[in-house]
Amino acid sequence: MDGWVLIRLVDALRQVSILISSQDIYDAQTCLVRYPDLSAKLILKSLFIHQLQDDSVFETVWRVIVGNSESDAQGYLQDLASKNEIGDNSDGRGIGGQGVGRGSGGISLTAQGNIEDLSQRSNLIPISRMEELAGSGAEFEEMVQSILADLDYYTWINSFDLAFQRGALSDDEWHCHQNTRTSIVREIRQQLLMLQVKLDNSWEPLVRQHWLYKPLSSLSEDEKELVKSSIRKWARKLAIRPGSRWKSYYKGTIDIAKIVRQSVQWDGRLFHLSYRARIPRAPELVVLCDVSNSMASFVEFLIYLVTCLRARFRKIRVFFFIDSVWEVTDFIWDNDLSEVKQEIRSWGHKVSSGFSDYGAVFKELAENILHEVSSRAILIVLGDGKNNYRPNQSEYIAQISEKIRNVFWLNPLDSKLWNEPDNVIKEYQKYCSKVYRCSSASDLQRVAKAVF
Amino acid sequence: MQTSPLDLARVLEEEGYLIDQEAATTLFLALALEKPCLIEGPAGVGKTQLALALARAQKRKLIRLQCYEGLDISKALYDWNYAKQLLRLQLAKTEDWNDIKADLFSEEFLLSRPLLESILSAEPVLLLIDELDKSDEEFESFLLELLAEGQVSIPELGTLTSKSKPMVILTSNNSRDFSDALRRRCIHLYLTYPSLEREISILNSHAPELSKRLLQDVCEFVAKVRRLPLQKLPSVSETIDFAQALNTLQREELNYGNLMGTLSVLLKYPKDIAKLEERLKKWETEALQRREQ
Repeated sequence: MDGWVLIRLVDALRQVSILISSQDIYDAQTCLVRYPDLSAKLILKSLFIHQLQDDSVFETVWRVIVGNSESDAQGYLQDLASKNEIGDNSDGRGIGGQGVGRGSGGISLTAQGNIEDLSQRSNLIPISRMEELAGSGAEFEEMVQSILADLDYYTWINSFDLAFQRGALSDDEWHCHQNTRTSIVREIRQQLLMLQVKLDNSWEPLVRQHWLYKPLSSLSEDEKELVKSSIRKWARKLAIRPGSRWKSYYKGTIDIAKIVRQSVQWDGRLFHLSYRARIPRAPELVVLCDVSNSMASFVEFLIYLVTCLRARFRKIRVFFFIDSVWEVTDFIWDNDLSEVKQEIRSWGHKVSSGFSDYGAVFKELAENILHEVSSRAILIVLGDGKNNYRPNQSEYIAQISEKIRNVFWLNPLDSKLWNEPDNVIKEYQKYCSKVYRCSSASDLQRVAKAVF
Repeated sequence: MQTSPLDLARVLEEEGYLIDQEAATTLFLALALEKPCLIEGPAGVGKTQLALALARAQKRKLIRLQCYEGLDISKALYDWNYAKQLLRLQLAKTEDWNDIKADLFSEEFLLSRPLLESILSAEPVLLLIDELDKSDEEFESFLLELLAEGQVSIPELGTLTSKSKPMVILTSNNSRDFSDALRRRCIHLYLTYPSLEREISILNSHAPELSKRLLQDVCEFVAKVRRLPLQKLPSVSETIDFAQALNTLQREELNYGNLMGTLSVLLKYPKDIAKLEERLKKWETEALQRREQ
């Protein structure tokens, strides 16, 4: 492998926050020289990538730097194809589009049916349109969506969704279609990212797409799993954060008093050392989540965090609200969140108008629920503060904030949007112990550390 | 010592472990560079089995350290044999104190735990540190010296360096993340569920008595089940158990309508079984339609 390419690759990987030590580079060189028959990509990936989540970043960087210089794109597509081999062997029959494509002279997916060949999929993407979008300065997700719309992607997936619902597609075909969907979107994202990296002449666009810094609402299923696994890990760390009381433990600080007490039994001789450790604090936690449409993707992660942390709290109560409050504590004690989602859907349709009303919600909380909550409790509100021009009734949140220890507000909106006319967060902010912006996994991590 | 990933895959296969090319290359590089290998992946994909097969293939003595919360140096590395030291003191009342003092903290009174045993062993060793994610963070930091330099420090004795550098395999179920320091010292290998063809070969080598038809059916079925959103996906060993269970019931092939009662071999949560039973009805209808066509 060309030394210059190796240096560029290492530099790029370091810029996108992958740690590569000098020892790693030395090892890589040794292996490249010692085993010239082995694939250079596989050697470098084995030596440079130390955790699964960095895999995709490595792939993109490799494509940008080495893929171009060795025209390796075809090889990459074959790699991808081999990864997706299960279920990708359907006959590729289309099921017929529903609706007229509005593609801008490109190829329409609805005319293609189920595309089985990955290289065909990558050919679908109109490069000129991509360049035009990449230079427009729009948000990354918007660009992806407009390219998908150009391809008639949404009409295409709708037709498959409908076919699956009416039973015209078998489970296998459906799964195969899902794979195709994922790989098309992934391919578009990859190509767009590569273009952006080239246009910006920096790796910054790639860093922004790291799962830790992406908005929670635009995460893919794989990234969601990553965030959840990180939440589990933070929760584990937080769960062992000590409180102020002590108990005997098999490890920890030496418990002199107990050792002296015990030694009296044996004429002042010491046989066993005793230890003590701090026991976790056990306050009460009340979680209040806005589950109107705009908030759904954030609620999932907050609930997951709360579920992981349940061992830390003596009592946890979870309420959902849109324009009235309902308690869902019993539903969330299950790692499977599908029941919670189902609950949101059924209750939301039955009882609510679908538009958030914070004033009414705080009133209900203060009048009906507050008397059951301990004064040491922490209230966490997850909401964007969009009150749909309804009265804010801030006296009720003031009353709540006086009664309990802390009110924390997590807001997924960017702080410059807090001043919009229908947003009441500014009114409520003075009654909260703190308001956090919470739109990405790294925000959530910061909040978790600060609040719990 | 193997000369290529293919060679490594072949010797592992002789020991009954089938590995794909990418994983074999990673493992081969770890062996070639004499670096520890951190194997991660969901439960039941064969992480520990890989280490066991590797020990057999490389004719190394296997020393295993099972990690758990609260595991500390006295259980993993060494401890002083206090009872023996007391006895020694009792016997030596008349001796010079300086002689006894030096003697009391010699190797004779040292109890070797797995890590020290792997360092002191004269023959080649494979040290398997299993489920490292279950241990505490302090223990992880303590391991760094062993992983990087192949040595450990005992305050009373000084630094002990390994005679033949042990091959170290660490496994993790990903219940907590490791520090960058630990990851940096290891070659990372992520194992996932095997592909359909590989799983058929695995079943074939573990349960050769099963008919080809049943093997194919079971593996296809399990691959389908693994796509469902279940709390715990079936592992390879559960697939083997499931195939053997069907064989015991003298089924020649897998029939969706005829699986009630056997699913608990494959899935371990009642909720998962209920989900699968629901899906089975749909699959059965689909299979019928396909046959009619």
